[in-house]
Amino acid sequence: MRALLLTLALLAAPARADIAEAVQDHILPGMAKLQASAETLRDAGNTCDTKALQDGFHATYDAWMAVQHLHLGPTEEEGRGLAVLYWPDPKGMGAKAQMALLKGDPAKLEPEAFAEQSVAARGLLALERLIYPEKPLPADPCPLIAATTADLARVTGEIAAGWQDYAQLLTTAGEPGNTAFLSRTEARQALFTQLAAGLETLNDGRIGRPLGSFEAPHPERAEARASGRSLRNITLALSALRDFTESLTPDAPQTLAAFDAAIAQAEAMDDPILAGITEPQGRLKLEILAQSVTRLRELALSEVAPEMDVGIGFNSADGD
Amino acid sequence: MRLLLSTALCTLALPAFAATPEEVTTHYADIAQATYGDALTTAQALQAAVAALVAQPSDATLQAARTAWIAARVPYQQSEAFRFGNPVVDDWEGRVNAWPLDEGLIDYVAEGTATNEENAQAGLNVIATPTFTLSGEVVDAAAITPDLIAHRLHEAEGIEANVASGYHAVEFLLWGQDLNGTGPGAGARPFTDFSTSDCTGGNCDRRAAYLVAATDLLVADLTEMAADWGPEGAARKVVTQDPTQGVMAILTGMGSLSYGELAGERMKLGLMLNDPEEEHDCFSDNTHNSHYYDGVGIRNVYTGSYTRVDGTVLAGPSLSDLVTAADPAVATELAGKLDASVAALGAVKARAESGMAYDQMLEAGNAEGEALIMGAVTALVDQTASIERAVKALGLDQIAFEGSDSLDSPDAVFQ
Repeated sequence: MRALLLTLALLAAPARADIAEAVQDHILPGMAKLQASAETLRDAGNTCDTKALQDGFHATYDAWMAVQHLHLGPTEEEGRGLAVLYWPDPKGMGAKAQMALLKGDPAKLEPEAFAEQSVAARGLLALERLIYPEKPLPADPCPLIAATTADLARVTGEIAAGWQDYAQLLTTAGEPGNTAFLSRTEARQALFTQLAAGLETLNDGRIGRPLGSFEAPHPERAEARASGRSLRNITLALSALRDFTESLTPDAPQTLAAFDAAIAQAEAMDDPILAGITEPQGRLKLEILAQSVTRLRELALSEVAPEMDVGIGFNSADGD
Repeated sequence: MRLLLSTALCTLALPAFAATPEEVTTHYADIAQATYGDALTTAQALQAAVAALVAQPSDATLQAARTAWIAARVPYQQSEAFRFGNPVVDDWEGRVNAWPLDEGLIDYVAEGTATNEENAQAGLNVIATPTFTLSGEVVDAAAITPDLIAHRLHEAEGIEANVASGYHAVEFLLWGQDLNGTGPGAGARPFTDFSTSDCTGGNCDRRAAYLVAATDLLVADLTEMAADWGPEGAARKVVTQDPTQGVMAILTGMGSLSYGELAGERMKLGLMLNDPEEEHDCFSDNTHNSHYYDGVGIRNVYTGSYTRVDGTVLAGPSLSDLVTAADPAVATELAGKLDASVAALGAVKARAESGMAYDQMLEAGNAEGEALIMGAVTALVDQTASIERAVKALGLDQIAFEGSDSLDSPDAVFQ
């Protein structure tokens, strides 16, 4: 009986949800949603209606969080990902550059000239500084808001369009003429690497920067505090990586269960801008979440990687 | 004759005895020892030039010290290929090559430039301040010593931008801030900043003391690393005690430096920010050389060949031999990509030497500069894919790798 079960298990073709599924179920729908939400935001940018801008900002940020772990192809090319979200910016370069744009030559707000500006002065967090200003802005922000939202719509449109072609490269890996991915394994490894690196950067950045050390926690370093999105972005990053994992392989029960547990921990925190981490109780919760993400990465390497028959490749998070 | 010659060439290309991982990792460690040895001797030359500068400050002695600093960067940058994948090197690296820095920690800076919302000490100015408080403790900095720099100032309050030691601290003291933005020109510190009779910038004695102490510390740190690659050295052991892991460390060093560090952090990010401070050697405008020699260093460890500062060539069993034996097509591809990236970095270097400094290339709208930098970035990203293919060709792809982090905490990976 046992032998029979084993035979059956071997005969049952492993559910090979990998490249095509990741592309069709996860990547392309996510990119389309990003583009669509940024277009709605651009329309709000033209009217400069605060409520519409804030709604559009959150919808676009949410859509970005669903795909931001995909640091390859059109998102990497021409630094487009950085032009959507440049964070952190400890030297405040973005704010400085925006002040100059607010008070400077309006010609710099023309689409072509604006596209040449530093990524620190563009993208979602640049927009956040204009629609959730910490102190009154020195000039009418509407022209800069319109330029910023138009640029976001352009960049995300390029990303979404580029992914149509890049998806082809992934799904035709190993076929004649495909020089980007010489085998299906190379394409699978490229995707898996995004998962492992996504978990690493989540811990180093969105969680690790505010967490700081026990003696010196830094809630002020959390992402997108002005719009109250710090914890939300952590939760969304986890959800997106879970969704991505599921599209890569359905045979990762431990990893998926660990994702569910981590998402539940994040949702239970009830600390939108991580202000509570200066208190031991609040800090402990974020520390536990950080440990869960570390464990998730180990699980991805020990469960998902063998399932996909790949190792982890080099990624943009390597280095310092 | 012709037949004989081609036979001989074939024999060379396909040695009867393929190199073994043991031989390859031993020779790799030998190259590392030579590279750090050269970094040490050139830093000692810098130390002598600094001594001459503070003894007799003049345009000539300042210029000589700057020249010595630029020469010292040549071997050091080639050593960066040994860093990722070897925790002994990676844990030490921050002492000598930390970047970017809040230079206002060390000395005077232009008004409004010492801002970092995450660093309360970005404008501390140790040279002008003999006593101050760090992390709630009073620090007596009356005497500026290597110990003070290494143990009290460097990464003060746990902040990485508080770079008090290493090449870039010395660079700042020799050149000063480059206030030309993306325009032409490097830092222009006058030699009188070190003059006790004609002092500019204030506290010239303390500035001279800082420069001497930081240079002494750099020499001490490089002495340590050169020894770490000696016969019983810790860094050598990391790559030789398990040659398979050692080969993986070579590839990790190549891939992590190529992609995440050089192409990403040091080149593309600076370009996307159009920020002249986002260049690696921002005070001296020597970035083109630093990037170029990083590229050369990556190629060195693949070909198993290093040209020493004195011109002698160290050649021997190489990773290239192993990859050739495993998959000649991948070996050819990777060798070609490494040559291409060195050529692309060489184009950046050549243009910088012909008048467009690296920070000028970063200027928004400088299409030529952008094309040069992106050409090198693309070549580096491209070669990373071939490095991954080499990993697979050698059957090492089931060993999870990702650069410094995984090898710093191997348990996390191999669980």
